Amino acid sequence: MSYPAAAVHLSKRFRIGEAHDSLRDLLAAGFRRILGRVEPEKESTSFWALRDVSFSVAQGDALGIIGPNGAGKSTILRLLAGILHPDHGEVRIRGRLAALIEVGAGFHGDLTGRENIFLNGAILGMSRAEIRAKLDDIVEFAGIERFLDMPVKRYSSGMYARLGFSIAAHVDPDVLLVDEVLSVGDAVFRLRCMERMRALVDAGTTLIFVTHNLDQMQAICPRALVLESGTAVFEGPSRDAVGHYMQAVSRAYADRPTDSDAKTARESSLVEVEHLRFFTGGDEPVVWMRSRDSVRAELAFRLRRPVERLVVELNLRASAGENLLSFNSGRDDREFHGMPGAQTLTLALPSLPLSGGQYFWNIRMWDAQSGETILDTPLKYPMVIDDEGRATGRLTIDRTWGFVSPVSKTDRGGMMPATRSCAATEDVDEDLLLR
Amino acid sequence: MRAVAVTATASELLRYRHLLWSLTWRDVRVRYKQSYLGVAWAVLLPLSMMLVFTFVFTRAIDATSVLNVNMPYALFAYTGLVPWTFFSVSLGGCVNSLVANRNLVTKVYFPREVFPLSCVASSMVDFVIAMVVLVGLGAYFHVTGGWRFTPGAPLLFLPVVVSVQIMLTVGIGMILAMANLFYRDVRQIFGVAIQLCMFVSAVVVPVPQDGSTLSRILAVNPMVPIIGAYRDCVVYARWPEPGPFLYATVVAVALLLGGWICFRRAAMRFAECI
Repeated sequence: MSYPAAAVHLSKRFRIGEAHDSLRDLLAAGFRRILGRVEPEKESTSFWALRDVSFSVAQGDALGIIGPNGAGKSTILRLLAGILHPDHGEVRIRGRLAALIEVGAGFHGDLTGRENIFLNGAILGMSRAEIRAKLDDIVEFAGIERFLDMPVKRYSSGMYARLGFSIAAHVDPDVLLVDEVLSVGDAVFRLRCMERMRALVDAGTTLIFVTHNLDQMQAICPRALVLESGTAVFEGPSRDAVGHYMQAVSRAYADRPTDSDAKTARESSLVEVEHLRFFTGGDEPVVWMRSRDSVRAELAFRLRRPVERLVVELNLRASAGENLLSFNSGRDDREFHGMPGAQTLTLALPSLPLSGGQYFWNIRMWDAQSGETILDTPLKYPMVIDDEGRATGRLTIDRTWGFVSPVSKTDRGGMMPATRSCAATEDVDEDLLLR
Repeated sequence: MRAVAVTATASELLRYRHLLWSLTWRDVRVRYKQSYLGVAWAVLLPLSMMLVFTFVFTRAIDATSVLNVNMPYALFAYTGLVPWTFFSVSLGGCVNSLVANRNLVTKVYFPREVFPLSCVASSMVDFVIAMVVLVGLGAYFHVTGGWRFTPGAPLLFLPVVVSVQIMLTVGIGMILAMANLFYRDVRQIFGVAIQLCMFVSAVVVPVPQDGSTLSRILAVNPMVPIIGAYRDCVVYARWPEPGPFLYATVVAVALLLGGWICFRRAAMRFAECI
């Protein structure tokens, strides 16, 4: 079977620093070569952004590509788009390809919206006749009717992004590559983009979608590829991919213990956080759990001096940053007597009423005596909740559905009793993003 | 195998002709946007250059006898400046074309040849307008008695001359665009070199043809027979000398193919080296 989009043993190496910044360097290198002082290309001057990655996507299928920053997601997309060329391996694309790597790449500020539609459409491979036929749809989707003949340099960034996405969404490609573009624009626009992408996939377009937003990815892609440091660590159902992704993210954070935020937090405070771990019954710490699991959080930290009245707060936040749940020991009338050295604090939760997705924990501590904040960590402690795709909002709670059918008087006799009820774990939608 | 690659590229370019058109149109549009005189600059630029050189060589210093131009100097200067401006402005655009469109090079795929090609194409718009003005200038000298125009069959050769110049320009333009992407020094060197080239390409001063060493070195320059051919076809209404013109054609074709093959091979690394 042939696939519209496939990568075969794809590898890409990048140089660290530039080959020769100027002619002077080139001449110097040339002289060294003449003098016989050949410098072999060191392995340390280059790194593999991608190593032996293979996958294929069937027609009308959607593949998500997820992974921590620097895992090689954008590199893959650029290789697929033909912008970069692989050092090893091969890219196979069948049919017309459109890549949306940056919204509005190629817009010219001095040209009007209308002129930019024609320019950008041509850049994405559309003919003038095609663009003319789709002009009204593009304009309507972007919602810029009134500003069509205004130079885009006076557009708001939202309008700019909407127009950029709208053009690309109307290319009608066989294969569509989308990179992270939905991080721009407001929630309503993001939702419309998602709908449009889903409509394209339903119509038979093959989609490859790179994103950090696991909710968006799961909403569109049944399958996902997880990248970590340039290699594919998992390929399979999106729901399972999320767990692998979170492990990769945790490892990525663990590898960078001295990122600047953590460093300043440590140096400026009396507290050093050793770890924040979660347990759902077993002895192994987990980052991935089901929404109904009972969770025990274990916070290990060191104090530099005694703190008579220590108040600890654990905040659970959505990846966008909203605070969803806050557990403050002080408000629960618990203050701890902190001694210098290692301490461990635990928090037991019967369940976390959250829908599936990625979340982060933030830790804060106060010295209640002086009122001084002694710790406020960045969002670096991840957690993934799996609810088997039952809820799309942020929260989920127990529920019972009822169903009453209007029964017409005339054929009452022929109908089955029309009341059914079921106790099921279905969905209560409270989308905080779209309040 | 290279021939196959070139034909494959050519057919790909053909598929992207809409883009070439759009980028050319963008360049033309942006060049004259927010400009009061707009497209009139296409005429005013070579015309004012003509006036400058005419003033310098006929009024400030009377060099007409030394220059030995057997036509009104203004006409000589204009017929040289118009194709030269086309050549130098095209190349000036080509040098920066890849670097200036960095966000397209790194974010979107299409044949990279489109960038230098659209620079040449957009300069050609100015060139055509300036050539039309030449008719008016000719009429002026015809009426004032400075030069008798007798348009003849050699005028039909003009498209061939323009085509040879375009091939030469595209060939050099691709090499410059590619070289500047890897080494930004190229742009600086180009700025100086193009000034020098103007004075050895028979644009505003004729090239010495006395058989000296210097004249033999300068005879390598393919722009001399090309600009000469413009004057032959338009002003003198005679056929260009076949020898030098054939030489220029061979050089133009060689540079076009050579430049294109190099460009193709380097294009794979553009996005990561830019």
